[in-house]
Amino acid sequence: MASYSFKGGIYLPNPYPVKDSEVRQVAPPKRVILPLKQRFEDEAQPYVKIGEKVLTGQIIAKTISKHSSYLHASISGVISAIKKYPIPHPSGIEVMCIVIDSDGKDEWIEIQRYNQDFQHYSPEKLIQRIREAGIVGMGGAGFPTHAKINNAQGAHTLIINATECEPGIMCDDALMQHYPREIIRGVEVLLHACGAKQAVIAIEDDKQEALHSLLMYNFNDHIDIVQIPTKYTSGAEKILIKTLFDIEISSGKFASDYGVLCQNVGTVKAIYDAIIDNKPLISRIVTITGSAVQEPRNYEARIGTSFASLVAKSYPNPAPHQIRIGGMMMGIDVANMHYAVYKTTNCMFVNNVVPTPAVQSCIRCGQCNQVCPINLLPQQLFWYAKSKNTNRALDYNLGDCIECRCCDVVCPSHIPLTQYFSFAKALHRKRTIEQQKIDTARERFEFKEFRVKRNKKERAEMMARKKAQLKQEMAQDASKKTKIAQAIARVKNKRDSKDENGV
Amino acid sequence: MKMVFDSTSQIMRQVIYALVLGIGASYAHFGWGVIIQIILAVLVAITVEASFLAIRKLPIKPSITDGSAVLTGILLALSIPSIAPWWIVVVGVNFAIIFGKQLYGGLGNNPFNPAMLGYAFLLISYPLPMTTWAGEFVNLTQALDVIFNLNPVDALSGATRLDDVKIQLALGKMVSELNIYSSAQMWINIGFLLGGLYLLARRIILWHIPVAFLLGIAISAFLLFAGDSEHYLPMQNHLMLGATMLGAFFIATDPVTASTTPKGRLIYGFLMGVLVVVIRSFGAYPDGIAFAVLLMNMTVSLIDYYTQPKVFGK
Ligand code: SF4
Ligand code: SF4
Repeated sequence: MASYSFKGGIYLPNPYPVKDSEVRQVAPPKRVILPLKQRFEDEAQPYVKIGEKVLTGQIIAKTISKHSSYLHASISGVISAIKKYPIPHPSGIEVMCIVIDSDGKDEWIEIQRYNQDFQHYSPEKLIQRIREAGIVGMGGAGFPTHAKINNAQGAHTLIINATECEPGIMCDDALMQHYPREIIRGVEVLLHACGAKQAVIAIEDDKQEALHSLLMYNFNDHIDIVQIPTKYTSGAEKILIKTLFDIEISSGKFASDYGVLCQNVGTVKAIYDAIIDNKPLISRIVTITGSAVQEPRNYEARIGTSFASLVAKSYPNPAPHQIRIGGMMMGIDVANMHYAVYKTTNCMFVNNVVPTPAVQSCIRCGQCNQVCPINLLPQQLFWYAKSKNTNRALDYNLGDCIECRCCDVVCPSHIPLTQYFSFAKALHRKRTIEQQKIDTARERFEFKEFRVKRNKKERAEMMARKKAQLKQEMAQDASKKTKIAQAIARVKNKRDSKDENGV
Repeated sequence: MKMVFDSTSQIMRQVIYALVLGIGASYAHFGWGVIIQIILAVLVAITVEASFLAIRKLPIKPSITDGSAVLTGILLALSIPSIAPWWIVVVGVNFAIIFGKQLYGGLGNNPFNPAMLGYAFLLISYPLPMTTWAGEFVNLTQALDVIFNLNPVDALSGATRLDDVKIQLALGKMVSELNIYSSAQMWINIGFLLGGLYLLARRIILWHIPVAFLLGIAISAFLLFAGDSEHYLPMQNHLMLGATMLGAFFIATDPVTASTTPKGRLIYGFLMGVLVVVIRSFGAYPDGIAFAVLLMNMTVSLIDYYTQPKVFGK
């Protein structure tokens, strides 16, 4: 097996490994909260009314937008509310959610039976079914899977990201150990749907059990399983593609531009469920871990289950806690556990509160640029981000930072570098918008000035013309007058001379 | 890559530990003066830093414990003659910390290496005491006497090998007629070299600057000596005399004022090495490390900007 690696990144130990590989099945909860939108989706439209009775697996929200997928009831019961709830998001936004109160029966809708052999279906049909099953990227980003497959039509290679992305998250590891057959089959479906010839499942080398489970079920020549080093950021899409194929995706381009489609292994299992078992996405595996829980564990729970109920099963220490949804590197800090498991949430960290070390000055030691997987110079970015010199920071390629926090972790001065970077990016966006506003305002102003001037000039010209005309007329008048005067004078003269003669 | 340190203070402490061998060798040669100067410099450094922070109404403890002021003090003490009067080190450290660091906004914001700035200031302002070195081992009482001016002992003084060579060459002697070998200087350099290797092994400093710096010295010295072996010192003398190794591993590598890109570090170190030889060979001052460092400090932002590593996908 070839050895794969990439520049930068850090080896991070898994701080709280899940000891038993068992996945706890969690009974359908009393209430679920289901958001109408994941992170990057457009909001779906509710297809049910408050008070309506729904069955498990029933469609409760639909959409016509390409960037959104369907939503299904994850338990049976009654729609009790459709209202806004906070979702884990850096800016703490709220989105519309459908709340279902359970009837305790978990009664399923009648499942539409398809022919089990997916080869009978066209890729278009498969993609449509994936969309109708409500599948989104389960690695965290939540981009709708059907849209991603559609974008990558004509891809030659399919990459299955089984790297788990960050230490601490264990749900994909558990998934692979428990559903290897389903995953391999799901990859076959995906190959058919996107038209690629070859699939590569990339798995980190610390997941030997998962690797062996997959190897045992893989009899397909078109599917390769490769091990990559367990090094943080190996799971970032661009880094993964570079690691596997030495293809460096240009800044601003996407994997699909290079004929590559990346899918998370959890998504693949959901595709299997949708196409082979005809079941929509209504549950997922999540990891509950952290220094404040005595039993870090993986749970398979219905979408919409509250985190608090899962954490309770892992024996948490008494509060206060530091809670983070997602990985310890790229996750989002939240104030409490009153969040639900969404399609994209893979992990919750519940940590004891520890004091954050004091921030010291940057001594330009360069530890940060050695670990940056994008090969940036974080200390320079920091310098310019701190002084709000966004233009200079952009010269140092601020825009390419993937906010992986590798630099934060190694900085001996404990500077929260990534925070500065996302702040600087936001500031730049704001400034661009303001600049645009200023530009339009200035243009408008300048146009107004121009118009005023033009009008003035036109009026002046008109006046001048009129004056000239008038003058001319007057002049003509004058000449008429003189003519008349002359005529009068002539007449007078004649008369006078007549008089003289006549006397 | 492994994470080795969890704080800036830890890095500074390691650097100070790594200096011990070189300090020991200096002590063995110059005697107690070395130790007294270091103690004096450290005390002054901490006092100045603390009072300045107090004036600026900044928290004192984190800046003192980061160890950078202490390190500046030690490096400056090692650069000046061990029998220089006490006020030399006091003035130098004050200048280094106030004008070299605090007035720029404290650690991390200073463009010039503070210790070298202090040294250059002293050398220009007080050339005589700054070039009068102990000629032999000086015991504790003698050292206290000379440093605190209780009882000037002229007999102790001499010139360092580099000064000496310089004077002799200026007087028209040829290199082949001179005694250019100094075992004491060599041992001091070896002491700092070993300390430097320790820092490299612990990944506290990176190899780029010291290697490029030594290469810069070696190559330019080699070329000069090949061109005119009667007026220029051979390469091995440049490497083992003066503050070469102290400069290579402890001064040129000061992260705050050095280039931070990998390619930039190579350029920075190499040019500094060349400058050292040029100043030693053609300049008016015996050793060129301080001026070479300060000159290169000025070029850092330029070097950094033009040696940015290739960014992923660009
Ligand atoms: S790791 Fe921290 S202290 Fe070191 S250069 Fe980077 S930002 Fe500065
Ligand atoms: S957060 Fe940005 S600058 Fe820091 S290591 Fe990651 S990509 Fe590099």
